[in-house]
Order: sequence, then structure tokens, then C-alpha cells
Amino acid sequence: MTAPTPHFPHTETPSATLSGISVSYPNGPIVLNGLDWALLPGQVVGLLGRNGSGKTTLLETLLGLREPQAGRVELFGQDAARLDDAARARIGYVPQQSDLFEAFTPAQLMAYFKSFYPRWNDARVEGLMSRWDIARDKPIRKLSGGQKQRLSIIRALAHEPDLLVLDEPVASLDPVGRRDFLRELVEQVLDRGTTVVFSTHILSDLERVAFNLAFLSEGRIALQAPLDELLEQVRAFTGTVTELASLFARLGAQPLKRTPLEAGRERVLARLPAGVAAPHDAQAVNLEDLFTELT
Amino acid sequence: MEAIHFVHINTGSPEPIYRQLIEQVRRRVAAGQLKAGDEIPSVRELAQALAVHPMTISKAYSMLEMEGVLERRRGLSMVVAAQHHRAQSAALRIELLRPTLQKAAEEAHQLELPKAEVIGLFNQLLDENAQ
Repeated sequence: MTAPTPHFPHTETPSATLSGISVSYPNGPIVLNGLDWALLPGQVVGLLGRNGSGKTTLLETLLGLREPQAGRVELFGQDAARLDDAARARIGYVPQQSDLFEAFTPAQLMAYFKSFYPRWNDARVEGLMSRWDIARDKPIRKLSGGQKQRLSIIRALAHEPDLLVLDEPVASLDPVGRRDFLRELVEQVLDRGTTVVFSTHILSDLERVAFNLAFLSEGRIALQAPLDELLEQVRAFTGTVTELASLFARLGAQPLKRTPLEAGRERVLARLPAGVAAPHDAQAVNLEDLFTELT
Repeated sequence: MEAIHFVHINTGSPEPIYRQLIEQVRRRVAAGQLKAGDEIPSVRELAQALAVHPMTISKAYSMLEMEGVLERRRGLSMVVAAQHHRAQSAALRIELLRPTLQKAAEEAHQLELPKAEVIGLFNQLLDENAQ
């Protein structure tokens, strides 16, 4: 087997490109508003956004399951709305709501899906089913929420996708189940250099495996960057508006979020250019701070 | 060494995971717990043990290699570099602690805590960790 090189970003065709995407619901607010986004091969991107910010809508649109009112989605360089079978077979998806056939047993479900894909890793499916304690011959409707979620993950991994999209994949899993899932994701990245995008509110999981983070806010990807860089470059500053303006000009810092305080003062989250040391009194932030301020 | 016990990481910290890895390996080499020629877990082993993105691990290893803590053997395995055949002197080791204590000193100052109380707490924490 030739080893892929997942440790360095590739520079080939993006796995997914979204340009100028707008989605709104009938009589509802605009969910996605001229959104641009690209996922490069081998990237693992964590998608962060508040409840109701449109993460699921975004992931469904990315997959071509939902047609945007404006904009264009490409998967592996093809129009997502007219994807050929070969491209479709390169995608794995774990939806937020389990969409498994409840009357089937896990064994029947796997046999059914296997028939759709040119490639199917039986050994991996068997290994995961026994490691993750899934009864092969029990009707799916009798499985617990966590077991269904695991089964949905196994189904999405079985055909060895090049692009894996996971919408809240760990919501029903306990900490042990989540760790098992993260290990599987790491293995997938190590062995295949899979592009992964997943949404979750469990920030500790994101911190481990999502090398890149994308913040969804007001219908757009407000910021996408490697988490390491954000932790090293983003600082919280407090001072008067004029003080901070001149400080940022001097440092070349880019303000990301302003919060007005009393008496002409403000708190600003700002990103320093790479290699510029943070001033002494600037506060370091963690992922939770970034989530709170940027989504 | 078993990868799972090699290092531990804290999530929720402002310190990126790759930095935490670098600092822990540096400290263990300085203390002589890891010595010249000791093999360290591969990127794959450690990524799987910690459930961390492999790029985070390889970033830490490359930086440790650049600063001469680790070296790459033929093939891909990494070992502790040849010059680290024994623990560094306490005088050098305590310098590794300076940035952390510096920060604690600043915060103690901001909180206007009496020196004796701060030292007392540090003593207590040292004892707790020794157990």
C-alpha cells in the first residue's frame, strides 16, 4: 500500500468548494448569506456555530442534498447537484438524525449499502461492529441511540470515503464512545488522508482532531484557520477605543470582535500577525473563548 | 515506551496541544527520564493513543528535532538526541520552570497576595504532586 501523506496539506482540487451560497426558508430568515468556503484534500475541519446558526443546512448544502437559492457547490470539481456515481461513492455522511432502516438488522443494512459502492471494507465493518458492541442480528429499532449513531458512523466509513461529513456525530455517545470514534477518525486520516468536516458542540473533541476550525456566524464562514495559530495569535485586549486603535495599527493586529464597555472603553478580540509577540497585558484565549466570541 | 503514557494533554487550555507536547518532552529529557537513544512513540502511535490529529504530533516532533532534543534515525523512528545522555543540572532545569512561575508571580501580584501565602500554596501543591 502506498502511504498517503496526510501530515501536509495537499494542493490539488479542493474536495468541496462553495461560492456565494445563499439559503433561506420560506417566510423565514436567511440562513446562509453569500457564504464562501473551501475544503482542501486531507484537511480535518471542525465547524463551529451556535444552535440554529445553520450548520446542518450548510452541511446538507455542501453535500448537494439541499439546493441553494444562489451560489454554486462543487464536490471533487463536479457540480454537486449533478454528481456522477463515482464521485458520490467518494463521500461518507453521518447525518444528525439517524436515517437507518429501522426494520433491518445491522448485518442486513450493511449488505444493502454494500451493493451501492464499488469499494467496501468488510474487515473494517466487522472489526468496528464487534469493537463497538453492535448486535449484528437485532433489529435496528431496538438499538440504543448511541448504538445507532455508531452504526451510522460505521456505514459512513465502510466504503472508505475521500470526503467525510459528520453532523454532530457524537451527540449520543458517552466519553468512551467519543474517544473510540475520534481514534477511528485519526486512523482514517492516517491511512487515507481523508478530508473530514464535522460539527459538534463538544469542544474538547474538536480540539484534539480538528486541525482547522471554521466559525459559522451570520450566514457566513466568518473565519477559518488552524486552531494552533488562533491560540497563538488571538488575544483579548481591553482599553479605550483610541488606545486600542493605535496599538492595533502599530502591531498590525486585525480586530475580530468588539465588545463596548463603559466610559469609552472596549474589549477587543484581535489576531496578531504570525511571529509578532503579544503585548504583556493582552489575554490569551482558549477554544471556548473563541467559540463564544466568534459565533 | 507505551504511547498512552508518553505524554498527557489538557484540552480547554490556551496552550496549543503541540506546545504542550513540546514542553513535556523537553522537561522529561531535562530531568533525564528520557535519555539519548531512547525511542519515542511514532507519530501514528501517539496520534492514535491520544486521539489527536497526526499533524499536531508531527509538528511538535519537527520542532523538537530542530532544537536538538530529538533526532531522526534511519527509517522514520525518532529518538532522544545523542547529547542528552544524562539529566541536566538543577540550575538548568529550574530555568524551564521560570516562565510558569513568572506568570504565577504576576498574577499573585495583581491579586495583591502576601508573599508567604503564595509560597505556602506552592509548597502545598508540590507536596500534593509528590504523592
